[in-house]
Amino acid sequence: MAVYKRPTSIADAPSGYCPGCLHSLATKLVAQAIEELGQADNSLNIISVGCSGLNILYWSGDFLSTAHGRAPAAATGAKRANPERLVFTYQGDGDLAAIGLAEIMSAANRGENFTVIFANNQTYGMTGGQMAPTTLIGQKSTTSIYGRDPKTTGYPLRMCEIISTLEAPRFVARYALNSPKGIMDAKKGIKKAFEMQLAGKGFTFIELLTNCPTNWHMTPLQTLDYMNTNTIPYFKPGIYKDTEENA
Amino acid sequence: MKESFVFSGSGGQGIMSAGITLAHTAIDMNKHATYLPEYGPEQRGGSAKCTVVISGDKIISPLPKQCDNLIVMNEQAYAKFGEDVRKGGILLLNSSRIKEEVKRDDVTVIAAPVDDIALELGNVKAANIVLLGILIGATDIVSREVLVLSLEEKFKSKKPEILDMNIKALDRGIEIGKKYK
Amino acid sequence: MGEKRFMKGNEAIAEAAVRGGCRFFAGYPITPQNEIPEYLSWRLPEVGGDFVQGESEVASINMVYGAAAMGTRAMTSSSSPGISLKAEGISYLAAAMLPALIVNVSRGGPGLGSIQPAQSDYLQATKALGHGGFHTLVFAPNTVQEAVDIVYESWEYAERDRNPVFVLIDGCLGNIMEEVDLPEMKEIKPEDLPEWCLSRRNGRDWQGNITPIYTEPILEGLNMMAGEMYKQWEEEDVRVEEFMLDDAEYVVIAYGMASRVAKEAVIKLREEGHKLGLIRPITLYPFPKNSIRNLDYSRVKGIIDIEMTIPAQMRDDIELQVMGRCPVYEYGRSGGCLLDDDGVYEAIKEVITGGAE
Repeated sequence: MAVYKRPTSIADAPSGYCPGCLHSLATKLVAQAIEELGQADNSLNIISVGCSGLNILYWSGDFLSTAHGRAPAAATGAKRANPERLVFTYQGDGDLAAIGLAEIMSAANRGENFTVIFANNQTYGMTGGQMAPTTLIGQKSTTSIYGRDPKTTGYPLRMCEIISTLEAPRFVARYALNSPKGIMDAKKGIKKAFEMQLAGKGFTFIELLTNCPTNWHMTPLQTLDYMNTNTIPYFKPGIYKDTEENA
Repeated sequence: MKESFVFSGSGGQGIMSAGITLAHTAIDMNKHATYLPEYGPEQRGGSAKCTVVISGDKIISPLPKQCDNLIVMNEQAYAKFGEDVRKGGILLLNSSRIKEEVKRDDVTVIAAPVDDIALELGNVKAANIVLLGILIGATDIVSREVLVLSLEEKFKSKKPEILDMNIKALDRGIEIGKKYK
Repeated sequence: MGEKRFMKGNEAIAEAAVRGGCRFFAGYPITPQNEIPEYLSWRLPEVGGDFVQGESEVASINMVYGAAAMGTRAMTSSSSPGISLKAEGISYLAAAMLPALIVNVSRGGPGLGSIQPAQSDYLQATKALGHGGFHTLVFAPNTVQEAVDIVYESWEYAERDRNPVFVLIDGCLGNIMEEVDLPEMKEIKPEDLPEWCLSRRNGRDWQGNITPIYTEPILEGLNMMAGEMYKQWEEEDVRVEEFMLDDAEYVVIAYGMASRVAKEAVIKLREEGHKLGLIRPITLYPFPKNSIRNLDYSRVKGIIDIEMTIPAQMRDDIELQVMGRCPVYEYGRSGGCLLDDDGVYEAIKEVITGGAE
């Protein structure tokens, strides 16, 4: 009989993520995938900066905490130094798509054999809700109080679409965590990415659409609806690249 | 005894290679040597300069202000570095390219058409070896035999004719140099 | 058993690193240090190591951070503007207590400056290699041989201290070819990996974690420990060359390539009957304070600081030890213009025969 329990990679402590925040769900999915693959002792979480960085408090597996945006560079060094470990970065959108754009693009382009888990909640959560590179047009933030204006701030960056144009990446997919189906699919995608890494296949990239009730100034339920009507139409879930498909 | 050499010209004239060969040969003769290239931002055709210091004792400073022997391969280098040889030193000019009159009368001037000599032997690229020959002839800084061994090493992957031509270039240079000893 | 070669400084440093156990390098092209990455790009794979040409200096130092966390002997090299970019990562290495080697083959500054040699990064290297008030050992060799010897043993220091080690040379030493005796290849076995590293989890029942962020009391505690470590360095790790100080009336102080030009001048002036000596800091941090503090100032009439930078940067460290007991003079060249024998000789002579300010 299957027993639903806390994955061993998650510390036995209350989560400090805001109520209704999907970061804790995303972290749990990653931890479950690791456990199901029997990799709890072998995994190495390369932690970034932002709310994703709170994992240093909740992650009980091995981790290496890194500078803002530099997780893919640190993961490059770590994975090459010890190719046996299951290495993944866990990064938010400010970290990955703004300050760390050079590092993510270059690691992806080199086809580094690690997995990137990219939590996209369209805001800088930890610093108080500033505009992110992924903030939607018209979406309000503390640095775009009238809503994001493309005339001065451009358009939200679609990382899956960009990364899937590169030759080297092997699996690139986006999932929305605001529905049971999205959650189940995401778990499958994460597992697949990890399996590909363990088989030495190369770079894998999983984008998880998440929310931020606190900085979006909504109830958790409202954020899930907002994701359906605003986020998902712009950031379309799906598999953008899968080199295994025709293999 | 410490002896310094500055080789100058433009990229492609074998300036750096002449400097390294001389330094290597000195090391092979159990002397001490330093070789310092001066690099510019250009990859091709820019000015090229290197400083070689050779001594029986350990070399302390590799940065002489004026050298004992200045080798100049073209007019631009002459204009730039012509004053950098000390009084009583040797100023060795490639007269195939430098037509200007030498104004200094406090140095031994050796003007030799090294490009023409090398061309005559088959390849202008050997001009730098003619220069090395002149230096050996004029100063005894390294021996011909050890330099030939360096050349053998340097050209070992090339056709034997190339080594032969370079040894000829060396000997033509030595003949010229001897006159200034 | 050594191996004699005639090598360029940068290449010799790269080979010494490999023989000292380096198995990971990440870096970004910048003159005048390119021979280090170029050499390691083929040399590291030969010994089972890894080379990455990073997308930037920022990325490269963070790749080193990742490899160092796995217990692998890792290094990066750059030149002045690139070291500024690495400042973030160097601070994180110090915070996360990771050993690594960083080599600066410095050039003229500030800004993009010039690509020619200069010693304009003394203050950066010794006072603030990044934010947050940390230090690293800073070595300043003055020959290719000394650079090789220091690089070869740098991980012993870095792993002892769990702290990066910094080697500061100028483009002149990086590009000069000299004779060098290469040391033997060190064997680094998997069981020699440091206990704290993240290389393996199996068989270890504790969570491995390495972080540059801490709760306040822990951070304060770590800073206090670092402070103690720096004090220890002052007692045990200072390296200095003292030359003809016994009866010296004037003392020249210079490091790196400048010290060779200065020494040549000191010897020449000694031959002319002037009582001159030389102090050469080999570690710039910890600074050889005692060598300067304990000079006999009833005899020493002046100190002359010679650096390949204008204004002199080491002068403050010198003055703190002289404590006004004699005048301190400075002479230098800057911006990529090299010091030369005659220039330094004249400058020193001017001081000792009166007239210089």
